[in-house]
Amino acid sequence: MVEWVRLAVPAAIVASMGSPSHAIQYLTVEQSRTLSFPSATDFVAIDAQAWKVASDGKTVGRYIVDHVIGKHLYIDYAVTLDAGGRIQRVDILQYREAYGGEVRDRSWLNQFVGKSSASTLRVGADIRNISGATLSCHHLTEGIKRIVTRYGKDGR
Amino acid sequence: MEKTADSIIRARPLLGTFVEITAWGAEGRHLERAVDGAFAVIERVHELMSYHEAHSDVSRLNRANAGVPVVIHEWTVAVLKASIDLQDRSKGLFDIAVGAALEHLGLLPSSHGASAHASAVGQSAVGLHPRNRARLLVPGNTIDLGGIAKGFAVDQAVAALRVSGVVGGVVNAGGDLFVFGPDEQVVAIRDPRNPARAMAHTKLREAALASTALSFDPVAPDRPSYCSVIDPRSGAPVATMSGATVRAPSCMIADALTKVIMIGGRDASEVLEHYGASGLFMTNNGDVLATADWEDVHTLAA
Repeated sequence: MVEWVRLAVPAAIVASMGSPSHAIQYLTVEQSRTLSFPSATDFVAIDAQAWKVASDGKTVGRYIVDHVIGKHLYIDYAVTLDAGGRIQRVDILQYREAYGGEVRDRSWLNQFVGKSSASTLRVGADIRNISGATLSCHHLTEGIKRIVTRYGKDGR
Repeated sequence: MEKTADSIIRARPLLGTFVEITAWGAEGRHLERAVDGAFAVIERVHELMSYHEAHSDVSRLNRANAGVPVVIHEWTVAVLKASIDLQDRSKGLFDIAVGAALEHLGLLPSSHGASAHASAVGQSAVGLHPRNRARLLVPGNTIDLGGIAKGFAVDQAVAALRVSGVVGGVVNAGGDLFVFGPDEQVVAIRDPRNPARAMAHTKLREAALASTALSFDPVAPDRPSYCSVIDPRSGAPVATMSGATVRAPSCMIADALTKVIMIGGRDASEVLEHYGASGLFMTNNGDVLATADWEDVHTLAA
């Protein structure tokens, strides 16, 4: 039978190690809009975060950009609604996970402006693949519900 | 291998977490379509196996009276088959009939009115029959595939990407991931006591890695969290373990075996070996143990 080996993880050293926090822009708003509505001919602004999408004069859906911000996490995401106000897809545009309060710091956030997925920015580590405690997307789910209420079937 | 083709990374909120897919080895628009299809596969697995969705196979089974067969999707059959085998091999430590215990803890909605963990330890909760039919075997029992379906979803997404001609990439569903294709990838393992920090690194190629620890909400990190792994022998959450990570040939097996280690600790080595898996766990007092066959896992203290 396979034996278990003790690995050295002294608490003091763990505490001083770099975090796996990372940041990435998956899609710009423009890229995401095009992927969601490849045949769209018009994006008419409803307000600062939402667009009515038309293809040759016919409304095909809505596109809304929003964000969730927490102590350690900042996420930009886009919700695509079809003409009936139902969710077609939700894409994460930017994901920034950080520790030490950087997320609340505007200058820290500004460094990601204009970065594309081709120039993936990594913070704190070279390693993008992380396993461990599963991150909850509970707050994002709440945000999506608010968007559907506001812009969906029964919204404006 | 030289990467002459494009590479994309996309992420969506699915399965209650963030699912990220990296794909390369084809032209950009082709990759977009392939990744879109892989996300759709993950959504489909969620629809079939969610405890929350009223029309999922799991909910339909849980609502049906014990003994009454329900026709389910072949994917659900595959996961149930694997669950029965895992329960058998782990001497009952892996158990899909812990839905009732999770409901009592408030970790699952009390939609199915489960009253107790009605089956005995090691007793199968479901029976499988020809033509994709299944039935619950014990009255009052409910099943929950939360401990295995996420890994299955990752495996199915990888299969879909391969069929679409994607050469390599990573499907990472909130830390349960599979690295496919010719490239090796380094993966960090979070410290279960402080998910902001990495505890160890390992390398993966054509292999899966899954972890279980306290759930972690980076938006509200101060929210109290507790372990959602239930020991079927006591019906209570595991209290002695901080977290477990498994490397295995499939993400479904890796996902499920993290629960076996969380509950069984050192006793899990036999079942790990059977599935060709390696594991590590951290106890509550910070000791980290790994199976001796896992040579390229390195703690960052080294």
